[in-house]
Amino acid sequence: MFDITLATWQILVIKIIVILTVVPVGALVGGYAEHKVMAHLQHRLGPMYPGGFHGWATTLADGIKFLYKEDIIPAAADRKVFSLAPAAIMVPIIMTYLVIPIDRALIVEDLDVGIFYLLAVGSLSTIGLLMAGWSSANKYALIGALRSAAQLIAYELPIVLAAVVVAMLAGSLSLIDIVETQNWPFAIWPPGIGFIAFLLFTVGAVAEMTRVPFDMPVAESEIITGPFTEYSGMRYIFAHMFAEMGHMVAFGGIGATLFLGGYQPIVPIPFLDFIPGVIWFSAKTMFMIFLFLWIRPTFPRVREDQLQKFAWKFLIPVGLALVLVTGAWVLYV
Amino acid sequence: MAVDEHRAPRTTESDDARRLVKARRPGFGIGLLKGMAVTLKHLFKHNTVIQYPDEKQDLSSRTRGVIALKEENCTVCMLCARECPDWCIYIDSHKETLAPKREGGRPRKRNILDRFAIDYALCMYCGICVEVCPYDALFWSREFEYAEYDIRELTHEKEKLSDWMASVLPPPALEEGAEYPGSPTRAPEVADGAAAPVKPVQAEASDAAAGTPERRGAQAAPLGTGGRPADAGAPKEAKPDVGPVPGRQAEAAPAPEGAEPAAAEAPPVQEEEQQAAPSQEQAPGPEPTAEDHAGPGGRTETASPEVLGIQMGAEPASPSPRESTETPSPEVLGIQMGGGPAPSPGAGEDAVGAPEEAETRTPQEGPDPEEVARLQETPGPNVEVPNEEPKPTALDPTEDPKEVYEAVLSDQLAKGSSPEVAEARAKVARVKAERGIARNPGVATKEDS
Repeated sequence: MFDITLATWQILVIKIIVILTVVPVGALVGGYAEHKVMAHLQHRLGPMYPGGFHGWATTLADGIKFLYKEDIIPAAADRKVFSLAPAAIMVPIIMTYLVIPIDRALIVEDLDVGIFYLLAVGSLSTIGLLMAGWSSANKYALIGALRSAAQLIAYELPIVLAAVVVAMLAGSLSLIDIVETQNWPFAIWPPGIGFIAFLLFTVGAVAEMTRVPFDMPVAESEIITGPFTEYSGMRYIFAHMFAEMGHMVAFGGIGATLFLGGYQPIVPIPFLDFIPGVIWFSAKTMFMIFLFLWIRPTFPRVREDQLQKFAWKFLIPVGLALVLVTGAWVLYV
Repeated sequence: MAVDEHRAPRTTESDDARRLVKARRPGFGIGLLKGMAVTLKHLFKHNTVIQYPDEKQDLSSRTRGVIALKEENCTVCMLCARECPDWCIYIDSHKETLAPKREGGRPRKRNILDRFAIDYALCMYCGICVEVCPYDALFWSREFEYAEYDIRELTHEKEKLSDWMASVLPPPALEEGAEYPGSPTRAPEVADGAAAPVKPVQAEASDAAAGTPERRGAQAAPLGTGGRPADAGAPKEAKPDVGPVPGRQAEAAPAPEGAEPAAAEAPPVQEEEQQAAPSQEQAPGPEPTAEDHAGPGGRTETASPEVLGIQMGAEPASPSPRESTETPSPEVLGIQMGGGPAPSPGAGEDAVGAPEEAETRTPQEGPDPEEVARLQETPGPNVEVPNEEPKPTALDPTEDPKEVYEAVLSDQLAKGSSPEVAEARAKVARVKAERGIARNPGVATKEDS
């Protein structure tokens, strides 16, 4: 098709540019979707003026506004750590995009240990949050950082167990292989197992993003904005807004890949094959994002201790049991 | 799952316990799904948000947006400025002398409004001025966009207040079968003892006429829309008694004459009456007796409750034509405001006669053609001008203002006025007493002469 031969470094540059474009654009679109979807779920209109048509430029205007703001570093803060923390939060999130297959050939790198890589990279941003909270010299920031560290560790486990279930069903850690195995999405087939794993993943993802109802680390009514209390301007959007939105889009893509069949049609009917994989993948990602947005205005926040109990006493045992059941299914069915 | 406790009726303890048990039963996350269904439903519901600067809400007809002034109705009586709890109404005026109406008559005087301003930075939108205005010069408008950049610019002058008049809605339509405000039916009962229970209602009715358009609507349909408990209850009780009995109608014309001597008589008698009146008003109407049909002479000594009612409900006008032209009766005004037909052919010609007719009408009954004709024929020697402010004439103008206040207050309350209106009137009476103004000019004139 294309007779263009590119050197490895050229391909690398193109991939980097694509990823570095996709993540902020995804964050902006995700932010706008969050404003509007949440508003309509609550019977409001949300932003209506910026950009003219239903406030489409809201997040863009918001981002530009933040860029103009003063970048304040507290006198007592550990300057170097404080300045680096947003990058330490943001980089792992961007890195998760590398292994998500948008189509059969549209993937930055098809790693053999794709799931493992995702989970490993995903837990890295905890370090960034701890850096931000510790270096701010602010008790709210510190409490928030410790809370988020505890929460990310606690909710990493249900996600890991759900991913283990998927890996067992697919018999591979490569994300391309996982997608190709799903004639029926794992969320539908095998019955029950896949769906429970999907629920585990969704709950864990919402908690990982520290979104309502699991937003104890940034509980603004108690500890201002948690680890980001002292941040302002550009660092604040990178540490908080971009990170949260980028995280949401990434988790949407991961959920679509692992449980909804990625770029494959949702049901194995040949008639549906004419729709390109990109569209299938985007639609499934959007559905996942909508799910995250839907949860936020619906449920009240849980308390810190309830949050920990829910993970350790309910989600993780369920996940472990599910791994056992999956093993039996893989062996005997 | 949370129970809708605020909506649930009061329940017994066992009910609560049962509900608690039910709520604690494991629901396997069904409640979570229910919650998500609720928010999802709202996603697809039609959104009712009104984007204010672009689109405007259709406000209720009773919205208290701003107070508008109908300048030509203002007689500079100052009641609004005096009653204003914030003292935010500023009125300036001067007097103008007009040529006498008839040759050889006295020159007439008229108050000309120079300034009428409301400081909306002080105004608390209580609406007392609108309520208290006897001449329908103040109205609530639905206009609300009059913010200013400087607090001093919030004092709006009469030009601006008059502009807002354009946004005042016409009074709401009367209810079906309601009495038109101008229908004269009250005449026969005025003199009749049987009509005693109606008195407070009548007082209310004249209140309503002096109030806002909405109030006038209420007056027109007393059975349906009585704003106060007294309104709602009284007419039903009164109805059987006020039926147009021919015999009573015959008595109607001389009755007010009979009332006047009573008013001129010694105040102590009436003070007794005043105390007696409320209890009698509460009781169902007494049967008409022969005594009630006695001539005016017999009434002076034993002024029956309804005679007192006349005096309270209606201040006898001073005989001079000047006064009658200067302060047209609120009833007449009300009719003009309401855009209705003239009260009656006779009333239009004779300013003195019209109020009398107005006084004698009641909102409870349909107009009786015979009666209307009779009223039109009646020359009108009774110069009873109804006053929008019923006042007890029994009190001496030189009395202690505090006593006056208490007396008027209790009197008003007994007649079924709302506490606010009663207090407002009592305050007016107190101010008048402090300044030595007779509360009933008619009585004072008679006493002087």
